[in-house]
Amino acid sequence: MAGQSDPKLSIFSAAEMEFLAEDEMVEIVPNMRMEPLNLISGDYGPFRPQIPASVPYWLAVALKKRGKCTIRPPEWMSVETLTRILEAERDSPREFQPLPFHYVEISKLLFDHARDDIPDIYMVRSLIEDIRDVRFHKVETGLETISARTHAVKLKNLSAMEVNIVRPFVVRTLQAFYKHDSPEMIQQPSVTSNRRLPATDRGPRRDLRQR
Amino acid sequence: MKVKSLKLREAHKSSNGVPSFCSILWDSGADHIVTSSSSDMSISIHDSLLLSAPPKILRHHRDGVAALALSPNCTCLASGSIDRSVKLYKFPSGEFETNITRFTLPIRTLAFSKTGSMLAAAGDDEGIKLINTIDGTIARVLKGHKGHVTSVAFDPNNEYLASVDSKGTVIYWELHSGDVLHNLKGVAPDIGSDMSLMNVLSWSPDGEILSVPGIKNDVVMYDRDTAEKLFSLRGDHVQSVCYLSWSPNGKYLATSGLDKQVLIWDIERKQDIDRQKFDEKICCMAWKPTGNALAVIDVMCKYGIWESIIPLSMKSPTEDVPSLQLKNSNGLLLFDEDEQEPSASFSLSDLAEDSHGESEPPSKKRLRKHSFSGDNSDDDINECSIPPGAKLCKNPSRVHKERLDLRLEEPKSGMVYTRSKMQEAFQPGATPMQPRTRCFLCYNLLGSITTIEHDGNSHIEIDFHDTSQGPRVQPMSDYFGFTMASLNEHGSVFANPRKGEKHLSTLMYRPFRSWANNSEWSMRFEEEEVKAVALGTDWVAAVTSFNFLRIFTHGGLQRYVLFLDGPVVTAAGFRDELAIVTHASPSLPSNDQMLEFRVINISNRTQPLRGRLPLSPGSYLTWFGFSEEGQLCSYDSKGVLSVYTDQFGGSWLPLFSASKVKKLEENYWVVGLNDDKLFCIICKSPDLYPKVTPKPVLTLLDLSIPLACSDLGADALENEFILRSVHLSKIQKRIDEMIAADLDTSALDDEAFNTDAALDRCILRLVASCCNADKLVRATELVKLLSLEKSVRGAIKLVTALKLPNLAERLNGILEERLLNETTKHSAIPISNSNSDAFIQPDPAIKTSVSAEAATNGTTTSTNSWTPMMATLTEAVTPTEVKNPLPSSAHLTSPLFRKKDKLKEGSVVGKEKMGQSRTGISEDAQQADDRKEDAVVQSMAKPQGPCSSNPFDNLSRDRDTRPTNPFAKSSSNQEKSSLLDSIKKMKTDAAGRN
Repeated sequence: MAGQSDPKLSIFSAAEMEFLAEDEMVEIVPNMRMEPLNLISGDYGPFRPQIPASVPYWLAVALKKRGKCTIRPPEWMSVETLTRILEAERDSPREFQPLPFHYVEISKLLFDHARDDIPDIYMVRSLIEDIRDVRFHKVETGLETISARTHAVKLKNLSAMEVNIVRPFVVRTLQAFYKHDSPEMIQQPSVTSNRRLPATDRGPRRDLRQR
Repeated sequence: MKVKSLKLREAHKSSNGVPSFCSILWDSGADHIVTSSSSDMSISIHDSLLLSAPPKILRHHRDGVAALALSPNCTCLASGSIDRSVKLYKFPSGEFETNITRFTLPIRTLAFSKTGSMLAAAGDDEGIKLINTIDGTIARVLKGHKGHVTSVAFDPNNEYLASVDSKGTVIYWELHSGDVLHNLKGVAPDIGSDMSLMNVLSWSPDGEILSVPGIKNDVVMYDRDTAEKLFSLRGDHVQSVCYLSWSPNGKYLATSGLDKQVLIWDIERKQDIDRQKFDEKICCMAWKPTGNALAVIDVMCKYGIWESIIPLSMKSPTEDVPSLQLKNSNGLLLFDEDEQEPSASFSLSDLAEDSHGESEPPSKKRLRKHSFSGDNSDDDINECSIPPGAKLCKNPSRVHKERLDLRLEEPKSGMVYTRSKMQEAFQPGATPMQPRTRCFLCYNLLGSITTIEHDGNSHIEIDFHDTSQGPRVQPMSDYFGFTMASLNEHGSVFANPRKGEKHLSTLMYRPFRSWANNSEWSMRFEEEEVKAVALGTDWVAAVTSFNFLRIFTHGGLQRYVLFLDGPVVTAAGFRDELAIVTHASPSLPSNDQMLEFRVINISNRTQPLRGRLPLSPGSYLTWFGFSEEGQLCSYDSKGVLSVYTDQFGGSWLPLFSASKVKKLEENYWVVGLNDDKLFCIICKSPDLYPKVTPKPVLTLLDLSIPLACSDLGADALENEFILRSVHLSKIQKRIDEMIAADLDTSALDDEAFNTDAALDRCILRLVASCCNADKLVRATELVKLLSLEKSVRGAIKLVTALKLPNLAERLNGILEERLLNETTKHSAIPISNSNSDAFIQPDPAIKTSVSAEAATNGTTTSTNSWTPMMATLTEAVTPTEVKNPLPSSAHLTSPLFRKKDKLKEGSVVGKEKMGQSRTGISEDAQQADDRKEDAVVQSMAKPQGPCSSNPFDNLSRDRDTRPTNPFAKSSSNQEKSSLLDSIKKMKTDAAGRN
């Protein structure tokens, strides 16, 4: 499935997704002293050595690059939690486990910039890859069940990257099904342009909305 | 059954998860726990009161220590090792005494006879050796076991020795002849060659029963003399029992099985009463000799103490300890002491020098036995050396009585003596030394000093938390074995304790920045030993075992030497000030440490503070130092943080109590604090201190005073209230000091005002919750504490909104009083400068009027009191150009006074108290008050208009002396609208009423 969705069709590129994810907050442990930063997005700090502070990822990564802090990996990014999630993902073929919305992007950011701050990085990395694969596989199999009768697909706890990848396909599929399903639309192609908008809106939007 | 699990802590390094046989022992006073492991060549003596403290480590063996035994009088420790030697040490000092014997194969078990004179050692060798502990001669070798002997046990009555081997054979030996009495084959499980497990056996404390693990996952009891099976304990062990231990009174038996659980049995009922599951097999257990607890150690070398095992409803495991056991502990020695016999044969006496506590005379039976027991026991030698029983016979009653007394006294005095211990010296921010792991010598808000011991050499690293600011310090090798260190921005100081003759105690100082080369210096101490070190701006202090406080300069000049009046506990430095904690006296029987602190100002050579240091009952000091602002603070093992304050003639405020905030399984390791936060490292229980890696992260905790649970339900607010008032008083004190030193206080004034405002906000919220909880008296008390005028008005507004007219009236009274106070004060002060008598005269007059108003409840007087208020307020509302109140003509000051005077005539309630108290205020305080009030008045005066304009000449005068009052303007601006609102509201209220 992941292969099927052409990157051109997804609304955001991976880099853009990552950019969006950088607004998430993370805890850092600075090793310098700095006054609070008063930015448009909010006030961060004050920073004191060895005392944790909460900042967005973009700031954390910027500080990390300058060797001014260590990033404390989020709680879910531990071997135990991930192992548990992976098992749960495998056990329940129809459900997704709750994970942070940007887990793919966040883990990539941390693997790229803060390798030394993540304990058991190889294990964590492979676990996250496994989880991602399992979930994508689930999305794929789930989409196979879309039939002519489907008007909406409900996917709970889907993450940003997954949504991003399946969105164009799902939307277009549902549109296509809808179109082929309703005879009047086929018979009167001229009307479709008027009708399509409200009809498609009602369908998938509620469940696949972007946060 | 029990679900809570017992947390174990590591005693030894386990060898990569390979199970090893570990041993654990208590000494008779329960002061120490001794542990060893067959995979580790060291023996650890832990202090049972301070389990977190570093154990004393004895490293004499060249291979794992498989067996430990402690002589009954606890003065001699024996260890048997895989390296095939048996060594004796002094206990509890741990000084090595002698290699008492060697084997050809590893040793597995050791046991002292109940007199302490004989030691049985056995292992993979063919025979059991009975060794005379005095001269180390082999008294006898008992041969008969086919397998490796895994456990030996002396009968408490000293007649038999029982032994069991790995094949499960139990043999009873007669001691005096060395003959095999009974040979029971295959009664215990065959353990093969797994040396992490042992077959064990144990005599009940009265010596009547021998307990041996059975082959059906049970424990079988054999008779003492006949070796007949008496009964067995069968229950929930699903695999065979691998260790068992009798409680001191013989009423309970603890058994551990291969199924990783420990069961506690009631012997009389032959039932298990409690159990505990562990992660690993428990390979050794020991009952606490003086309490209801069991020490356990598992095959991974983790040990722990299982407290209060036996439910309170049942007899304590130490109740009714059979006297036999006491009698047997080195009775002979006491016997001799009693007789005042200087006996040459008493080379043993060093072994038993402290024995008088535990010792009891031998029973008649034993005397008889010994008299014909052969040649193999030194008891008998002793026995022979006692002068012919004549003396004993002559005065048997006296001797007997004395002993009886001794026995009666013994448990109590023994407990007291052993329990109350004076805390040892420590460095704040240090973690216990552990072999082969890195630990902190010093951790503070600036950085850390860590050390790791490796092959006898230590390696020290200094890190600053702020890597951009602190100097980069090269790691260094440490040939001295430093155990104490202190760090500040200028340098670091190290010291090591004295180790024997060769290693003298050394003090070393390393400055971080110095213009000269080689500016590091060190001092050596003969005989003396450094106990604590501290650093300040340009001095280094060391307190030594001779109670000398030695102060050096940065460059190493020996500047001062002071003689302290007690053994040091710890020391801390901050800029010019050095704080030292010493023992004031031996600790109380209740285990309360008696500590004393003093603060010394090094540059002024003064001692500004001195007093007793408070600690929670039964706790000891764990951290001591200064807050970021230089306040003296201490933290004790019960988790109470106290801060020194000048209030109340110098006392300690408990500003934090871990028990109040603590989440389960968390310990707080304090690093420092500032005005409103505590910096600490959170350690997961049972760890009491952080590890060096991963780098610990500081956590900020809010200070929280241990308040009582109030009926108000606003604990957070009450806490804030107290903290803020403490903070305010601190600022006030600083302002006073600055004024005294003629410094500019505007910055502090600002801070004081902010704190004041925050305090008022907090009080207002408290007032609200008081009103909601219907505590009106408390609300009025709170309103009286408000410092700003507008806050009082706010309170009135609040109360009116809450529909409490009665309270609102009272608050109005308070406001009135306050207004009057201020006006009189300001009018009076200029006079008082010239003539202080004149100042008092007008004051009581006005006071009486106000107090009369405040005191009366009747509506008529209250309306009276309202009307002038309203008058002033309406006047306040009418002038629109209130912003410019400066025209302060003399006649404008009068209206309020006149009104008050009129009013005064109506009421005659005299109260001069207030007036008197005002005269009592010292000049200084008055000035400070004055300044604060200026601020208040400035803020309130503007909208109030001409009626209370008399402060304005005062104000303009003030403007001349001080540049500006930055907050006055802003606050008045902010306040204007809200105040006007409230005034309007009051007006309408009043109108409605009239």
